[in-house]
Amino acid sequence: MIFLPTQSLILAGVLFAIGLATVLVKRNLFFVLMGVELMLNASNLAFVSFARVHGNLDGQVIAFFVMVVAAAEVVIGLAIIMTIFRTRRSASVDEANLLKY
Amino acid sequence: MIEQVYFAIFAVVALCCALGVLVSRHPIQGAMSLIGVMVALSGIYSLMASPFLATLQILVYAGAIMMLVVFVIMVLNSAKDSSTPRFDLHACVGVVPALVVGAVICRLVWAWHALDRNRVQEALAKEPAARGTVEAISKVLFGGRETSGWAILFLAVGLLLLTAIVGAVLLAKRRLDKPPATPAPSHGGHA
Repeated sequence: MIFLPTQSLILAGVLFAIGLATVLVKRNLFFVLMGVELMLNASNLAFVSFARVHGNLDGQVIAFFVMVVAAAEVVIGLAIIMTIFRTRRSASVDEANLLKY
Repeated sequence: MIEQVYFAIFAVVALCCALGVLVSRHPIQGAMSLIGVMVALSGIYSLMASPFLATLQILVYAGAIMMLVVFVIMVLNSAKDSSTPRFDLHACVGVVPALVVGAVICRLVWAWHALDRNRVQEALAKEPAARGTVEAISKVLFGGRETSGWAILFLAVGLLLLTAIVGAVLLAKRRLDKPPATPAPSHGGHA
């Protein structure tokens, strides 16, 4: 008895919702970045589940590309966080209001 | 049957660690919980016949990316608000759209499940899905004309990584033409 792809898709949806809640609730820039990472992981899980359903490897190749893009996104995001921290001495999203007015 | 048990274990670990990211107060705790999520997802990938992605999940996500995040958190640890209150009533409004999105996704998956449940079950029972080994995935990536344009996408992703490296260096380096903001400490010991 193998597990159905529905179960892993439900798991991916719940992980995506938790990541979205992390992005929306947390005030710390690091937590916002980690919430985005969580959402990317959930979408990867959905891609692999659908690759298993369809019996080919295209979904896994897309998941591979998502990993690479996530790596680039983390590098740029951390550099931006360091720049904001250097000017504001804070890692809070409320402090990053230079473009607000 | 044993796959069901393993999947249940990994899913529970992933969900608990994801909730740990949501409720933790310091970014280091959140990063550790996120590493737990990634390791559990790697186990689920290996259950779903994709050992290459399971290895990459450990190497790239849990290894490289989270190591970078943890390093930067440690470097910037002196932030005055690095430890945030756990329940901020003003921000808890953000849970509502997350709940709505999660409910919509689960409803869609359930509708899809009811729609072609029989087809999926017989497809899974008939033959094991293509195993995502390194050889199989590289054949899909670089296999030639019949596998459409993955190779072009591969080159574009290489360009993206190069751009990200240059951008990160430009963003994170100090200005070279200005003196550093904080004077270097003198070695004399007067002060």
